[in-house]
Amino acid sequence: MTRDGRNDAEQHPADLAGAYALHALDEHDTAVFEAHLAESERARIEAAELNDTAVALGLAVAPVQPSASLKANLMSMLASTPQLPPVPASRAAGPATTDAAASVPGATSVVPAPTSGGDAPANAAPSGAGLNRPVADIHSRNGAASSTHLSATASERAQTRWFKRPAQFLLAAAAAVALFVGGTFLGQTLNTNQFESQQASGLAQINAAADSQRAATTTADGQEATLVWSNKLGISAVLVDNLPVLPSNQDYQLWYINGEGAASAGTFDSSGDGTAWRVLEGRMRAGDQVGVTVEPNGGSDQPTSNPIVAFQS
Amino acid sequence: MLDLMTVDSAGDLAPAAPATKEALLGRVAHGDQSAFGELYDQISPRVLGLVKRLLVDHAQSEEVTQEIFLEIWQSASRYEPTRGGASTWILTMAHRRAVDRIRSSQAGRDRDTKIGIRDLAVAFDHVAETVEVRIEHERVEKAMTRLTQLQRQAVSLAYYGGLSHSEVADMLHIPLGTVKTRLRDGLIRLRDELGVAS
Repeated sequence: MTRDGRNDAEQHPADLAGAYALHALDEHDTAVFEAHLAESERARIEAAELNDTAVALGLAVAPVQPSASLKANLMSMLASTPQLPPVPASRAAGPATTDAAASVPGATSVVPAPTSGGDAPANAAPSGAGLNRPVADIHSRNGAASSTHLSATASERAQTRWFKRPAQFLLAAAAAVALFVGGTFLGQTLNTNQFESQQASGLAQINAAADSQRAATTTADGQEATLVWSNKLGISAVLVDNLPVLPSNQDYQLWYINGEGAASAGTFDSSGDGTAWRVLEGRMRAGDQVGVTVEPNGGSDQPTSNPIVAFQS
Repeated sequence: MLDLMTVDSAGDLAPAAPATKEALLGRVAHGDQSAFGELYDQISPRVLGLVKRLLVDHAQSEEVTQEIFLEIWQSASRYEPTRGGASTWILTMAHRRAVDRIRSSQAGRDRDTKIGIRDLAVAFDHVAETVEVRIEHERVEKAMTRLTQLQRQAVSLAYYGGLSHSEVADMLHIPLGTVKTRLRDGLIRLRDELGVAS
């Protein structure tokens, strides 16, 4: 899998459009291509069209009648299977004047529409929902810097169509978008692009991993918090809605906690609305706890306060 | 066949039209179990047909179909009817899930050794049964003939075989870059032949 095509993919991500629509990419190339999608409207149009083309191939397959027991099984599972909350009407009816996708609903029912455009990359799924993949809706400001003045209807359609892409697509794209608009990382101007793409790529990889898992909880102050991780990849990401802004002399710090103690996994700050999220530094081991504490600016060697939130992976 | 369809769908004689899949999904999003049942009745044969086309094994295909419908139940609120058909949303999810299953399990490898590359590459080995499927089938089959043989082979292996682009490269003994090009050019040709545009 790791061979010459890899660098090639990074140099010419557009070449991956066909394989992407056919679900023929591995996790790495998927992340590369989705980062490309987040940046290119033209690529999104092509991706939407090729996806529809692939679906036409699927519609040409002869149907097969499932056994009666399959339906009975399913129906009996519904009552105990939580659903993602309906999207609030206020979010779904946003003005379409500033960008084509302003009406795209936000990620969770609890996030109020932020005026800053900062928006949530992922919903907090009902805990224990058993979703293999986080499902995310996103607010499109990704093209804001370059393309808000373009009002081609084709691009509008592509924008909106983009948002009905399956979950893994949305999350990766949302990750990239959040980096630009969420405010969470805006302070980091040095090597920003590299940092952003690493972060977005990390989140996309977790999400695309076959063993992707998630746990949802609430912080001490009641904000919804989600941990997504892959044991196979050994990485995780924390997402928290509406995490309060800290004074400038403090940072949020992430920790991997296990029998050997707590190991720092990076610091971050929050803009106060939307979803603050961060792919943790270092390697996660199966069974690690993940915690977030408030620490003096720059972080501490060991936690100096009680975690505001902790997850058991 | 086309005439028959037209008469059927236009006539007032038809019993109350079944709810559209889009409308059903909207109700499912609000926890409507009977809408879910109706949606299931409408589209589960297509979902299972597609999944089984990739996985071959019937029991395993039903298992994956169950996962797909649970995901539909869970994430129905994320579907937006103004942005495309419910079938597209569901079949995209179904194909993704089938591919995930192939990649995540030994099943894929077992399957490959069992049925072999040649069968995987045969895109259309089922007899279409309904008018709707037959028409779509013929439309796609015709469009497929406009691809070069090499494009058709690569697209079929990837979509119907569920192979990754590097697996396609291995099987066909061609460079990965060539596979990418064939997949993209092949799909673009198909798109144009099928008149798919956003």
